[in-house]
Amino acid sequence: MFLLPLLAAVLLKEDPDLARRLKNRDPQAMADLYDRYGRITFALIFRVVRNEAVAEDLVQETFLRVWNRVHAFDHEKGALGPWVLAVARNRAIDYLRSAEGRLEQSALELEKLDQPGLFVNMENSILNLDRVRALRGAFEKLTPNQRLVLELAYYEGLSQTEMADRLKQPLGTVKTWVRTALKLLRDELGEAAVA
Amino acid sequence: MTHEELREIYELYALGVLSPEEKSEIDEHLERGCAECGAGVRRAMEVSAMFATLTEQVNPPKRLRKRVLASIGAQPATSRWTSVWAIAAACLAIALVIVGLKTTGDLDEARHQLRASNEQRDEAQRELLVSRSQLSNVREALQFLNEPETVQATFGGGKALPPRGRVFVNPSRGVLLLASHLPPAPAGRTYEMWVVPKKGNPLPAGLFQSDAQGNAMHLLAGPVNRAQTAAIAVSEEPESGSPAPTTKPFIVAPLAD
Repeated sequence: MFLLPLLAAVLLKEDPDLARRLKNRDPQAMADLYDRYGRITFALIFRVVRNEAVAEDLVQETFLRVWNRVHAFDHEKGALGPWVLAVARNRAIDYLRSAEGRLEQSALELEKLDQPGLFVNMENSILNLDRVRALRGAFEKLTPNQRLVLELAYYEGLSQTEMADRLKQPLGTVKTWVRTALKLLRDELGEAAVA
Repeated sequence: MTHEELREIYELYALGVLSPEEKSEIDEHLERGCAECGAGVRRAMEVSAMFATLTEQVNPPKRLRKRVLASIGAQPATSRWTSVWAIAAACLAIALVIVGLKTTGDLDEARHQLRASNEQRDEAQRELLVSRSQLSNVREALQFLNEPETVQATFGGGKALPPRGRVFVNPSRGVLLLASHLPPAPAGRTYEMWVVPKKGNPLPAGLFQSDAQGNAMHLLAGPVNRAQTAAIAVSEEPESGSPAPTTKPFIVAPLAD
C-alpha cells in the first residue's frame, strides 16, 4: 500500500488552467489530465474490480465522463483531482455492485456523489504530501478490523449491514469499528491541517 | 439524529454506503442548506479522495492512454517531438524579439511581437496535434484493413438519413467502426458500441463520440469470436455507458455467415 511513484503526478501542483482548457475542448488538455491522473485512476479501479480488461473500460468511461461533464465544473473554485478520483471510484463500485447483483444500491445515488458542482471550495491542495503522510500514519494506527471495514466501504462500497453479513459480526460491532476508525482519521488529518 | 451523530457518518455518506434512512436524513439537511452538514460532507469528500492515494500501484497498459484519447476523438502522439518543435519555435520567437528589441528599442512593439509569435506557435501546435491524431487513426485503420482475416459489414446504406459507415471485424484484433453523418451525442449522452452474439444479450464494446464534422472511429481492441457474432450495433446511452442497451440501436451492421 502507498507507493510514492503513484503519487508523484497527483501531488504536483495542479495546473489551474487544465480545467479551463478541458472546458475549451482542447484535446491536449485531456492528454495532460490522463498523464496526471491516469495511473492512480487505473490503480484505484483495478483494486476495486480486480480485472485488467474491465479496469481499462472503466478508466475510459471515467475520463469520458469527466470530458462530457466538465462544462459544469467550476474551473476557478473546483478541485479537479478529487473529482476525477470520485468519478473513478464510483464507476468501479457501480460495476462491482452490478456484477455482484447488489442492485438495491442505485447507481443514481453514486452518480449524485460525483456531480462536478460538489467539488468546489475544497482546499487547493488536499492531495498534498503532508496530508497523505498523515492519512498513511493514521491507517497504520488502526486495528486490522478497523482498517478492514474502511477498505470494505471504500473499495467494495459495502454498507455497514453488508459488512456485518460479510464478516459475520454483529452490526453494532461493525458500526463501532467504522466510527472509531473514522474518528481517528479525522483527528489525525485535523492535526495535519493545523500543522 | 443530532449533528453530533451526523458528524460521525459524513464520510460514509460521501462513499455512498449509508443506509437509505441515514442518507435521507443528511440529504434533508443539505437540501435545506444546513451549513454544518454542507461543510462536513465537503470535508468527507476530501478524505474520500485521499483514500485513493493509499491504493497499491498498478501501472496501466500503455494502450490505455491512446484509447482514452481516441474516445474523445483525439489522439495526440506520445512522442515528445511536438514539444521539441514547440520549444524550438518559442526560442526562435524570443530570439527574434530580442533582435527586434536591440534594433528598435521599442519595448511595446517587442511585447506585441512576442504575443503574436506565441499565438502562432500555439495555433501551429494545435494543428499539428490534430494532424498527427488523424494520421494515427488512419494508420491504425489501414493496419486493421490490411489483414486478410478482417471481414466487413456496412450500415446505413440506401437510407435517406445518416449515419452511414462500415464495421471491420478481425478475430484477433477486434472491431473497428467507421461512421460518418453521425452528429455528436447530446449533452449527458454518448454512443456505445455492442457486439451482438448469435445467442444471448449484446455485449458492451466501448463508448465513443463523433467529432464536430459527424465522423467517428471506434476500436474495440482484443480477440472477437467472429463465428458467434451476429452483428455490431450502436445505441445512444447515458454518458457513463450501460451494461445493456437502454435505447434501440440506431446502427446495426449484420455480419455475413
